[in-house]
Amino acid sequence: MGMESYKLGITGEEVAEKYLAQQGFEILEKNYHSQQGEVDMVARDRDFLVFVEVKNYSFRSLSSPLSAVRKNKRESIIHAARTYLLKKGIKKTNCRFDVLTIYRSMDGSRRIEHFKNAFFCD
Amino acid sequence: MLVKINSAAILGLEAYRVEVEVDSSRGLPGQSIVGLPDAAVRESRDRVRSAIENSGFEFPASYFTINLAPADTRKEGPLYDLPIALGMLMASEQISAKRLDGAIILGELSLDGSVRPVNGVLPICMSLASEHHQVLVSKKNADEAALVENLEVLPVESLRQAADYLNGKIEIKPHRVDVNSLFPPELQYNIDFADVKGQGHVKRALEVAAAGGHNLLMVGSPGSGKTMLARRLSTILPPLSIEEALEVTKLYSVTGLLSSKGVLITRRPFRSPHHTTSNIGIIGGGRIPRPGEVSLSHLGVLFLDEFPEFDRQVLEVLRQPLEEDRVTISRAHSSLTYPAQFMLVAAMNPCPCGRLYDQNLNCTCTSIQIQSYWRKLSEPLLDRIDIQLEVPRLKPDELSSLPEGETSKQIRQRVQAARRIQNQRFKGSGIYSNARMHPKQIREFCRLDKEAENILKSAIVHLKLSARAYDKVLKVARTIADLEDRPVLCASHIAEATQYRTLDRNPSTSSG
Repeated sequence: MGMESYKLGITGEEVAEKYLAQQGFEILEKNYHSQQGEVDMVARDRDFLVFVEVKNYSFRSLSSPLSAVRKNKRESIIHAARTYLLKKGIKKTNCRFDVLTIYRSMDGSRRIEHFKNAFFCD
Repeated sequence: MLVKINSAAILGLEAYRVEVEVDSSRGLPGQSIVGLPDAAVRESRDRVRSAIENSGFEFPASYFTINLAPADTRKEGPLYDLPIALGMLMASEQISAKRLDGAIILGELSLDGSVRPVNGVLPICMSLASEHHQVLVSKKNADEAALVENLEVLPVESLRQAADYLNGKIEIKPHRVDVNSLFPPELQYNIDFADVKGQGHVKRALEVAAAGGHNLLMVGSPGSGKTMLARRLSTILPPLSIEEALEVTKLYSVTGLLSSKGVLITRRPFRSPHHTTSNIGIIGGGRIPRPGEVSLSHLGVLFLDEFPEFDRQVLEVLRQPLEEDRVTISRAHSSLTYPAQFMLVAAMNPCPCGRLYDQNLNCTCTSIQIQSYWRKLSEPLLDRIDIQLEVPRLKPDELSSLPEGETSKQIRQRVQAARRIQNQRFKGSGIYSNARMHPKQIREFCRLDKEAENILKSAIVHLKLSARAYDKVLKVARTIADLEDRPVLCASHIAEATQYRTLDRNPSTSSG
C-alpha cells in the first residue's frame, strides 16, 4: 500500500508538471522545503508567483482532495512560501496559492482539476 | 490600488459615516480588517469570498488591507460585507468605481452573493441624508430607507446587480415610498374596549390615564381582567404623528425588530415584558448599549404584569426614565441616550395568593407575607404612579348580564380632545401632558372653585392624604376637567381624582 501510494504521488507529480507547462507555467522549484514547511511546486504564471500543492487521489479514496488541504497543510505551505520569498529576496510580487487535484480512475486515466487562489494567509 | 467606499455605523440612534478603505498590495494573498471590527465584521471575509466567487467574479489573489475609518470607534454587525466586496472588486479592477459618487453602501452578503437586509437602515439614512444623496441597500431595506426625504434609494438584490450598476451595465430605478400612504386612514386594532364587560370605573380610569399621560397601577384578584384592560389602553391613545412614527420606527430598526412589524410603525407600541426580565433588558444595555423595553415602549405603553414579582432593582431603574422621558446608559465604550417617554401601566395582586380583596374566598397569606409583598414597591416608585385603583372580580351573573361598553374609537375621540387642550396649555414649556406638570404649573393651571376646595380639604383630613398625594389629586383632577373641557376644577373632578388614591387609603400598604 505504502509503495503504491508513493508511486501514485510520483507519477502524479509528473502529470502535474506536464499540465502546468501546458498552461504556460514556468516551474521554478519542485518539493521546496523550509524548516517547518514544504510546497510541491513553485511556478511562474505570467506576473504571478504560484505555490502549487498537488493532491493525488484515486478511485479508492473516500474524501475529496480539497478538504485534504487542511489548516496544518496550509500553514506548512504558507511557511515554505514565506521562506522562499525571503531567501530569494522577492518583494512586491503577486503571489497565489493553487491546488491541483489529480484523480486516477479505475482504468488508469487521469483527470486534473486546478483550483486557482485556493486559499490565503490568515 | 486604494479604493474608498462610504458606509455607516450607528451609535445609539445617531449614525456617522464610516469610510471603508480597501487597499490591495502585492505579496502573499491574504487580508486583514482593521478599525476595531467586532466578530461579525471579521467574519465578513469568509462571506465576501464565497459571495464574490458565486457571483461569477474572481476572488483576487492580493493582500488586502481593509480599514474602517474612523479607526477609534467599534464597528459591529455584518453591514460592511457589501462595501468590502465591492471595494475588493474595484481594487482588483474587475469593476469600475466611476459611478460610486459618494453613495452610502450597506448590506450583508449571503454566500450565494445575494444582499441581505441589515439593522438600523432608517437611523443611518436619517442621519446621513444631509451629506449624501444616494444610498445602496438590500431590496428588503429599500422601503425603510425610502422613508427619508431627499435621498435616492437604490435597491439591490445581489452583489452581481450592484457590480453591474457600478459598471454602468444596468440602471437601477430609485425606490420611492409615500409616507402618508403607509398611515391607515383610521386606526385599526383587533382588540377593543367594547370586548370588556363591566369594570366601568377601570375603563374610566384608563381613559383619564390616557388623556393626561398618567401612570397607572391596578390592584386586583387574578382573573379580574387587569391584563385584558391594560392591553386595550393603546387602542384609546391618539394616533402617532409622522414624526413620532419615524422616531419609534428608528428604535425598532436599531433593535432589529422592524422586519416583523412592517416598514413604518404607525401604532403606539405596547410592550409587556415578563417579570423575569433583567434590568438591562428593561433599561437597555450591552457592551454597545441597545434600547431596552422602556425605549421600545417609547410613545406607547409599558405594561408590567405581576408588578411586585419584578426584581427590586429592575423596578428602581424605572425611576430615571419615568422622570426624564429618556434613559442614559453609560458603558466603558460609550454613553448613549435613548428616548423613553412611555406610560407605565402596572398590575398586581393584592397579596401573594391574590384573594385578599375577595369576600367569598379566604386569603391564606399571613400579614408578614402581604407586607413583604408590598414592600417591593418603593415609595419613590409609587410616587410616580398618579392613578392607583382596585379591580374587583366580576360576579358570574354580571359577566352574562352586563351590556357591551363603549368602543375604543368613542373613548379615543375624548382622549384626543383632552390632549389637544393640554398641547395648547403647555405650548413651548417643554412638557406635553398634565402628568408632567411641575408644582409651579400645578398652582397656575389647577384652579379650584369654592366647593372643590372644601371637598379637597375634607379629603386631606379624612383620607389622610399626604402633601405629595395632594399634588397628584390636582393633576388627575385637571385631566378629568380637560375631558369635560372645563377650565376650572369643580367638586366632581376632585371627588373622582381622590378615588384614584387607593394606596394612600389602604392600610395594607401603609408599610410599603
